[in-house]
Amino acid sequence: MTQFGFGAVTLEHENTGRPDSDTVDATLAASGDASAFERLYRHHVPRIYSLVRRMVNDDDADEITQDVFVRAWQKLGTFRGEAAFGTWLHRLAVNVILARRETLGTRRKRFLEGDAVLEFLPARKAGPELAMDFESAMERLPDGAREIFVLHDVEGYRHEEIAEMLGLATGTSKSQLHRARLALRRHLER
Amino acid sequence: MSDPWMERLSDYLEDDMPAAERLALEAHLETCRDCSVVVSDLRRVMNRARQMDERQPHRDLWPGIAKRIGATSAGAQPIRRRWSFSSPQLAAAAVLLMTFSGSTVWLMRSAGSLPADGPIAATAPPPATVTAVNVRRNAAENYAAAVEDLERVLSAGRGQLDTTTVRVIEQNLAVIDQAIAQAQRALLADPANLYLNTHLAETMRRKLDLLRQAATLVPVS
Amino acid sequence: MLLFLAAGIALAASQQIDTTVTVERGQRLQVNAYGGEVTVTAWNRNAVRVETVTSGRQRIEISASATTLSIRAQGRHGTSTEADLRISAPAWMPLNLSGVNTTAKVEGIRAPISVETVEGEVDVTGGDGLISLRSVQGSISLKGARGRISVNSVNEDVQVVNSTGEIEAETVNGEITLEAVDAAAVDASTVNGDITYAGPVRTGGRYSLSTHNGDILLTVPEGTNANVAVSTFNGEFESEFPVPLSGTRKGKGFNFILGSGSAQVTLESFQGTIELIRPGGRKDRERRDRSDH
Repeated sequence: MTQFGFGAVTLEHENTGRPDSDTVDATLAASGDASAFERLYRHHVPRIYSLVRRMVNDDDADEITQDVFVRAWQKLGTFRGEAAFGTWLHRLAVNVILARRETLGTRRKRFLEGDAVLEFLPARKAGPELAMDFESAMERLPDGAREIFVLHDVEGYRHEEIAEMLGLATGTSKSQLHRARLALRRHLER
Repeated sequence: MSDPWMERLSDYLEDDMPAAERLALEAHLETCRDCSVVVSDLRRVMNRARQMDERQPHRDLWPGIAKRIGATSAGAQPIRRRWSFSSPQLAAAAVLLMTFSGSTVWLMRSAGSLPADGPIAATAPPPATVTAVNVRRNAAENYAAAVEDLERVLSAGRGQLDTTTVRVIEQNLAVIDQAIAQAQRALLADPANLYLNTHLAETMRRKLDLLRQAATLVPVS
Repeated sequence: MLLFLAAGIALAASQQIDTTVTVERGQRLQVNAYGGEVTVTAWNRNAVRVETVTSGRQRIEISASATTLSIRAQGRHGTSTEADLRISAPAWMPLNLSGVNTTAKVEGIRAPISVETVEGEVDVTGGDGLISLRSVQGSISLKGARGRISVNSVNEDVQVVNSTGEIEAETVNGEITLEAVDAAAVDASTVNGDITYAGPVRTGGRYSLSTHNGDILLTVPEGTNANVAVSTFNGEFESEFPVPLSGTRKGKGFNFILGSGSAQVTLESFQGTIELIRPGGRKDRERRDRSDH
């Protein structure tokens, strides 16, 4: 069937491989298109910001989130479209956060020994005014345990990946996760 | 919490346990209330973790990012229709060319990386990995070798060329390199696109042509 | 056979040279000047006249063989030098002109012409047969030529006006304008610049216009018979008249057929607008206004 078009026709990003709009924007951004990069930012900032918030101190979250996107802009050339852009960005964010963690210094004992985890977290009391909600409790976990919990249970990384990212034995990742879960179970909203 | 099974409950929930042990633990859970309560809690913790809401930052972080990457904070920065080059960019291009002289294999093997605020790449290329460029390895190697040879000739002869000519050639090589990088990136998004494949090949040919043309300008000593 | 006519006109002080050498059909004119402005103008005598003002450090060497009249401007010890040469030559005489910092202006030659320079403009009116004009840093302008035309710059614009034949136009960082051309085959390609084509699309002709970063403007006269293929990655397509979009869209582009579709037109812009305009239409008038200024 023949149709007639008149005047301006914008060619769609219609193509054989059908990349998602993120991939197209990432390609454009890689060639210097800042507005394409802003679209990527708007689309992905809730997820990245939430990740940062859960992994690090609240005070640093804004700045680290910005670091993640600046780093992404610089590294766009290495995005090869093999994974979804969101996956690539997320992994990059984890790397930025972990690198940043080193410079922030360790304010708390990083990993948990035995039942020590429980001491860090006041148990959820009966009265709601005294209670710490689940997210707050999670943020109060020692850094190492929190990172593992966030990466595994919230973000869905496997122990092998976490062990590699954090430079730990897989067994350590598993045992720390277990401790973190045990600590957090007291702060489940009933 | 001295129950030895207590330590294994996460493994159990993650199905990270040999079958025999699993059967034994399940039998234990039938009788141990503490353990079965903890299993139930841990399961809820895991579910809770998966249901966490995403949060928006309290303020718009984009203006800060835009500033740091050299884009206007007003948002849209249109694609330049015609690239123009300021003197610092030309200098950057010259540095780029000198840096990569004799090692332009990256052109074929990596998408390169562009600077935050201009069209000319002055940053180091990322580690090379093979991309979706639909050129056979041999062709790619031949191309890289040809580019390398010509760049060697040019590099050796640049002292004999007029500095303006050298600058113009470098600028134009940078223009082509940027077009190549853009075509390569476009191909990542759409590897089977016939136009992009031929466009990339054609642009790479242009680079070779320009290098050849430039090499012929070098006086034979 | 080498006939040595004049050589080593080396002069102690600045002096005007005005030499005329008789030539015969079958000879070609070869001019080699490292720098300066070389003007070749056709006249109606079977002779070549060379006019220049030289300094003591320069010499103009003129030699002739049965096939070639060669004019060479060089330093006294064979070094590079600049000289403004004014040459008059018969219109039938093929011309080869080469230089480095040389600006070339050729007028009225009705024979094959080749000009090659690095830093300097090339401006040719005329030419018949094989015409090849190349400059790295200078713009190229060709008017009133006929034959197989190849124009090539690197860093400047390329323009072919009022010419017929087959046209190949290339630049890297510049615009290509093909205006009032009547060509059966056109291949125009730039990396960073617009391409404009205004002229008939011949039955059975092949036209390929390709840019990476720029717009393509093609005037399509009434009654054009062409199969048009449009490709872009991040650009737009606009048409001043209805375009039949058949079901052949593929990739980031599409094909459509005008009339019998006997000519093949390929339009490619990675990230620019591809525009089809009507001769005499609004866009065409705007375009003409621009090129007049």
